[in-house]
Amino acid sequence: MHAWLSFAVLALVLWGITGVTQKLSTNRISSERSFLWFCWAMVALSGIVLLLARPHSALGTVVVLCSIAGGALNGLGAWTSFRALESGGKASIVISLISLYPMLTVVLAVLLLHERLTPMQTAGVVTAITAAILLSLEPSAKAEP
Amino acid sequence: MNHKTRVENPCGYCPCVLRAGILGWCESAPVSEKKQFLFTPLWLLWSLVTIVLWGTWGLVSKIASTGVDAYVNQLLYTAGLLPLMVFVAWTVHKSKGREKSEGRRAGVFWAFLTGILGGVGNIAFFEAMVKGGDASVVAPVTALFPMVTVLLALVFLKERLGRTQWLGLGLAFVAIYLLSA
Repeated sequence: MHAWLSFAVLALVLWGITGVTQKLSTNRISSERSFLWFCWAMVALSGIVLLLARPHSALGTVVVLCSIAGGALNGLGAWTSFRALESGGKASIVISLISLYPMLTVVLAVLLLHERLTPMQTAGVVTAITAAILLSLEPSAKAEP
Repeated sequence: MNHKTRVENPCGYCPCVLRAGILGWCESAPVSEKKQFLFTPLWLLWSLVTIVLWGTWGLVSKIASTGVDAYVNQLLYTAGLLPLMVFVAWTVHKSKGREKSEGRRAGVFWAFLTGILGGVGNIAFFEAMVKGGDASVVAPVTALFPMVTVLLALVFLKERLGRTQWLGLGLAFVAIYLLSA
């Protein structure tokens, strides 16, 4: 297995677990408070990360801006997705629609970073995005036995 | 006129890296009447903006990974999250007292654990990019994380899966196989 794939799968597993821990949290406290403590944990983790990180003075401006923008984009994305639900969008449609976000990453990476996908990888990307959409759909009460 | 109602468990498992936000918020999201902006439903606009924000996140993470290691990337990521954190803290402060204290400690514990797991997951995501994974492949692979959530919910929370979710689960394994080839 490629090294990058091992780490990608590790991220997938850890983020997958958070789907459950998040639910356990919001069953007990408000979603805003839960989100706040989520952020506090990120800050606490940064303390540990500081010991492991090797920041050097030669960090490029673009790189630093992209890293910071990453946190901001991710956080804002969470907020706008909430607004989509709040604005009357049906959850089953909104969540399925925003599951398409990796598609944009693929397009941008191909156009701007000149990444190339093999036919096998292209099939994998399409399958992955389809799978993510299907997994995000709530089973309807009617479909339940 | 107030048309707000509550959404009954609308979200399922959202393919969002910052799941804590959307998963949590959407469970208690007040839904307002359907509004439009330039003949386009507002919910559609917000959804498209979300796609742009999260889709771009994958790209900027790859660019960042060319110049910083995964740990520094996570540090700077957290810095980018801080303005939103201040906004949410203000929201929580405003609603203080309206929340029941029963089970709060456990709720905070699970939220904190979510943040730690999410943060370590971020580091793994950044490391995948640093190790040479293309953004066009790493982003779709990691977006499959609901498969783990669904499996855990099935085993530990005794939730039932619909046919579409079973199909999604099967496709997720096929996708990982195809992308790893």
